[in-house]
Amino acid sequence: MATGVLEIRGLTKYFGGLRAIDDVNVSISKGELVGVIGPNGAGKTTFFNLITGFVVPDGGEVLVNGVDVAGWSPHRVVQEGVSRTFQITRMFSSLKVIENVIVALLARKGMGILSSSRAHVEEASAILERVGLHDKIGLLAGSLGQGDQRKLELARATATKPNVLLIDEPFSGLSLKEVEVLIPLIQKLNKEGLNIVIIEHKLRELMRLAKRVLVLNFGRLIADGTPEEITNDEEVVEAYLGKERGNFGAP
Amino acid sequence: MGKYVYFALALAMLLVAPMFIKSRVIIDLLILCNIYAIFLSSWDLVGGYTGQISFGHSLFIGGGAYTAGLLNYYFQVPPYVTIPLGGIVAAALALLIGVFALRVKGAYLALVTFAAAAVPVTLTAIFWEYSGGDDGLSGISPLSVDVVTRYYLSAALLVLCGGILIFITRSSYGLVLLSIRDNETASMAVGIDVRKYKVITFVISGFLAGIAGAFYCHNQLHVGPAELKPAFSVLVVLMAVAGGMGTIIGPMLSGYFLIFLNDWLRFSENYKMMIYTGVIVIILLVCPRGLYPAIASGIKRVVHK
Repeated sequence: MATGVLEIRGLTKYFGGLRAIDDVNVSISKGELVGVIGPNGAGKTTFFNLITGFVVPDGGEVLVNGVDVAGWSPHRVVQEGVSRTFQITRMFSSLKVIENVIVALLARKGMGILSSSRAHVEEASAILERVGLHDKIGLLAGSLGQGDQRKLELARATATKPNVLLIDEPFSGLSLKEVEVLIPLIQKLNKEGLNIVIIEHKLRELMRLAKRVLVLNFGRLIADGTPEEITNDEEVVEAYLGKERGNFGAP
Repeated sequence: MGKYVYFALALAMLLVAPMFIKSRVIIDLLILCNIYAIFLSSWDLVGGYTGQISFGHSLFIGGGAYTAGLLNYYFQVPPYVTIPLGGIVAAALALLIGVFALRVKGAYLALVTFAAAAVPVTLTAIFWEYSGGDDGLSGISPLSVDVVTRYYLSAALLVLCGGILIFITRSSYGLVLLSIRDNETASMAVGIDVRKYKVITFVISGFLAGIAGAFYCHNQLHVGPAELKPAFSVLVVLMAVAGGMGTIIGPMLSGYFLIFLNDWLRFSENYKMMIYTGVIVIILLVCPRGLYPAIASGIKRVVHK
């Protein structure tokens, strides 16, 4: 019986002869903020793509509140309550910041062809205010800096009212200052009840956020535990950092 | 506010034009302009707003034209029945092709739609006994014998079709289309059923093109393979892009400008097509986003001075 908000069982994907994701089993419980790490090519983004329907799995189940969404098309997975952001930000560049969020609201609420998008302005503004973009709602999304684009992606993803949010490398390409803005924002979203899974290369930052970390290597889940457990796991240290034991900067 | 002034002005010009223009030839040209404005702007809904470059518009224009032509020629079905039917047949064709072709993107979509558009023209050759082959069918009933009446009918159709297009593109629906154009993956990620939107938009575009095609047939009193040939699709894309993709207004204005240009170039006989396409190429080199965006930003600069 499924207990987690997101329950992944035996998830498998082959690319040709390569096992990109190999029999992964994970359960995300209510209120969790889980990190995903692993060397380049370990299958982290593929893992997200499989959950969100951008890639169709070859086997396994993706249970969202007990409903198996494996192989569903992306928009249906979103409607089931799983939203995501991208490693490389994907803006609606020629649309205004607020319109980026309105599109997400329209997708969720449906629309009459007669309806004007103005009806959603208030709600979209409120969402943008939460991520700290309220003074930029009239700008074109394409003109935003990298840090603001990350915030907008988060705003857009939360506008779909997800139950689970998958964040793919939120800190890549950001300055330290921008990272320091984003960390409390992600923590706030989690405290407000959003279940979050984050892929991140910047381990020091990730360890500050996540109380539980999954480690992927060659498509297999090789470890699942607290940051302390992970940093002391020999297989992880070997896979991720080489033979020498490195400094994860765990708390 | 300013926008509505321009719309009102354009509407007024459309309305009073035949009162000042006494030349039958010019009014006939204006009718052609109105029809082309629909051809081009209906293409823009798919090309400019969802970013799906289709080379299959001749299929919908020609499909509408042949529907009207055949029904009228063989069964004497009157224009006010054949014109909406032309739209419906074209919409059905768009649905049929869209469901398959819109699975692919970019150059592949261009090629698939182009290939699909090449099929029916072959059919007109195979069934030449019925379609009239290369000569097409002549003696289609006119909409009206009076040129001014025909002009007002074409203007009414332009206002109707153009109004639908402008309304759609400025609504929530249009916003979703633009999001697909900007980043399809991100659209899916926020919960948009991208395929569905693309197909519906393709069908609307085909419907309007088919209506205009059927109207064209009754205006020319003739239907032939010229409007059905894939080469006509290429012309539609060129003309629409020269006007300004993703603006609806741009392709409409481009219809007017290029139809008149085409007429003026009659004197150049053999060089006509060369000069005509040359002008389009120059337009695209000078203002890559098209005529209308260039003119609009020019006007803005003057007004804000």
